[in-house]
Amino acid sequence: MIPLSHFLIIAACLFSIGLYAVLTKKNAIQVLIGIEFMINAAILNFVAFGRYDKINGGGQMFALFAIVLAAAGLAVALAIILNVYKHFKTIDPSKIDNLRN
Amino acid sequence: MGGQAFLEISLIISLLVIFLPLLSFVLILIGKKRGGASMAIFSISISFLLSLVLLALYWNETPILYQVNWFIIGEIEFKAGILLNNLSLLMLSLVSGISVLVHVYSRSYMKNDHNIHRYWAYLGLFCFSMFGLSISDNLLLIYLFWELVGFSSFLLIGFWFTKQAASQAAKKAFIMNRIGDIGFLLGIMIIFSQFHTLDISILFGENGLINASIIKDNLWIFGTQQIPEIWLTIAGIGFFVGAIAKSAQFPLHTWLPDAMEGPTSVSALIHAATMVAAGVFLIARVYPIFEPQVLDIMVFIGAFSAFMAASIALTQNDIKRILAYSTISQLGFMVMAMGIGAYSESIFHLTTHAFFKCLLFLAVGSVIYQLHHYRDKFGLAFDYQDIRMMGGLRKSMPITVLTMCIASAALIGFPFTSAYLSKDAIILSAFEWAENRNKLAQFLPYVMVLTSWLTVFYIGRLVFKVFFSESKILTVNQLAEIKDPPKKMSYVLVILAFFCLFFAFSSHPLSYENSWIWNAFPIMLIQRNEIFHWLIPLILTSGTIILLIIAYWIYVKRATFLISEKNVFHRFSNQEWYVNHLYNNLFVSGVEKISKIFFWFDQNIMDAIVMKIAVFFKFISRVSVLVDRYFIDGTVNAIGSLAKFIACYAKNIQTGKLQHYLSIMLFLLLSFLILFYFI
Repeated sequence: MIPLSHFLIIAACLFSIGLYAVLTKKNAIQVLIGIEFMINAAILNFVAFGRYDKINGGGQMFALFAIVLAAAGLAVALAIILNVYKHFKTIDPSKIDNLRN
Repeated sequence: MGGQAFLEISLIISLLVIFLPLLSFVLILIGKKRGGASMAIFSISISFLLSLVLLALYWNETPILYQVNWFIIGEIEFKAGILLNNLSLLMLSLVSGISVLVHVYSRSYMKNDHNIHRYWAYLGLFCFSMFGLSISDNLLLIYLFWELVGFSSFLLIGFWFTKQAASQAAKKAFIMNRIGDIGFLLGIMIIFSQFHTLDISILFGENGLINASIIKDNLWIFGTQQIPEIWLTIAGIGFFVGAIAKSAQFPLHTWLPDAMEGPTSVSALIHAATMVAAGVFLIARVYPIFEPQVLDIMVFIGAFSAFMAASIALTQNDIKRILAYSTISQLGFMVMAMGIGAYSESIFHLTTHAFFKCLLFLAVGSVIYQLHHYRDKFGLAFDYQDIRMMGGLRKSMPITVLTMCIASAALIGFPFTSAYLSKDAIILSAFEWAENRNKLAQFLPYVMVLTSWLTVFYIGRLVFKVFFSESKILTVNQLAEIKDPPKKMSYVLVILAFFCLFFAFSSHPLSYENSWIWNAFPIMLIQRNEIFHWLIPLILTSGTIILLIIAYWIYVKRATFLISEKNVFHRFSNQEWYVNHLYNNLFVSGVEKISKIFFWFDQNIMDAIVMKIAVFFKFISRVSVLVDRYFIDGTVNAIGSLAKFIACYAKNIQTGKLQHYLSIMLFLLLSFLILFYFI
């Protein structure tokens, strides 16, 4: 049986990769991919901890919900990015700095 | 006299008497400048009528006392109120009566003056304070009104304040009266510390506290309170000093002749008939406090003033100054009479004197008024108050001459006049008083007789020179043009002349003992000496007639009996006994020197100090400007710059870039977690 810590380490790695992508990528789509990484790291944790709740399967249930919500959020985010592109003619988050002025 | 309601009506009447003149004073000053004369005459007439009502109601009745609480100091209650006894009723009617006449007279006399509304207002103030003085029941209230009387007198003497002499005279009168006020105040304080009350009827009534206190072993004892006897004497002298300042007795008399700079009507009302009598009135009010020694001083001062003033009046040339000295002399008679215990004689003389002296002044005022008028008309230049310039007015001004002669006859105590009764009564009492005394005291009545004869001579000189001698300046034609003054003024003179005759005061022309005023006051208990009662009037009257004839010869027939102007006595008298010189040398020049020193001190030292302080503060202010600019402002600016400096760096955090914000959030979240869970 694969020990729990392996899942957790993989989830942490996934989260860190997602975080890195969110903080550094010059493309909003890539940032979005980073966010997906982080959500999936969290879902992985739910599934991994689900082994302690085999009768109700709470971890799996939450994972399913989270996947659905992430998909919905992704759709909204993509819609926002489309609008951002229409407005700014770019999707590079470092160039969208109107707040500064 | 019964019933509370009745009492209250008389209270209202008395309050009306007092406050009507004050009301006219206030109204005139507030703004009714045009109707000033009518307002003043109306209010004083009502006051006069009401005071006559009071006189009729309460003369010779039990005194009326009406009091309300005034204020409380510690445990001592002060009451303010009115006291209507014979003395205050007489004073009230006398003052209001004379005031009415003088008001009417002034309406013509002061007609062409520009600031006439002030005159009416001041007269109102004077009448108010004089009435208040007369009927107050409390020494403190009397003191207040006493000051007010002095103040209104000051205002009226200085009525023509643009004249240097008038404003100086007003100041002189005021300052000399202050000296007396100090004495008065001292007396009040001593009384208060001994008895803890200032109520006149409690203090000086028949069973009053003064009589209840006793003197034993040089201590003045009242109840458990005892202070050295000397304080009683000092209190008496204090009150007396107050009286001599107000009544212009030696040595505080010099203000009165100078006060003649005021309008003549004012001189008649205030400086002859009423205010100067306030001193005698005060003596009468506080009479029980005077010890025998103080009374002796009073006799001396009164007699000396009477003699001195009469001798000065002999050689004065200013017509009003002669009358002023005559007033001092007559007041001297009254004070002397108070001193010898002739209380009712003194009050009686006060009353008669008020009428004849007022008449003398008003008649002289008419002469001055007409001479002034015609001088301007003829285009002449002479001093219209100098009797050397006058003469021959007998035929021109018959009413004035006649009333003047009646008043002069009253002044010299000619039979059938009012003052024959009162003045002879005083001289008679002086003789009776001196009988059982030492040599010096026996000298006194003869001085009074001599003074009385001097009076004859100086008033004879005045009347003969002004009316009967030949004219010196005016020609016959010009004299024929001069007329009696306007009718209103003449009527006043005639009314006053009536009161100079005996029947206003006594049913018997030659005996003062039938007089209603004399009988209304406590009578001196001295053994009556019948010989005096016919001998002395006889001597006085025959001397009077002889002197009148001599004066007539000298001044009308121009007999060559003239004393050289370089004669020592003449100079002494003409220079008013050098009292003014003495005061100038003793006090005025000293004060002037001191004030010059102070002026120098002020100019050179005080001002220098002030300047130095100013320079010092200027320096300090410079320093503080520097501190302000460079330190305070610098600090503030430094803080500002610091904030700006910090902001320069801090603003770089706000890049507006999404990922930067995210990384900062992450950083903060991590730091928080680490801090919260691991440390």
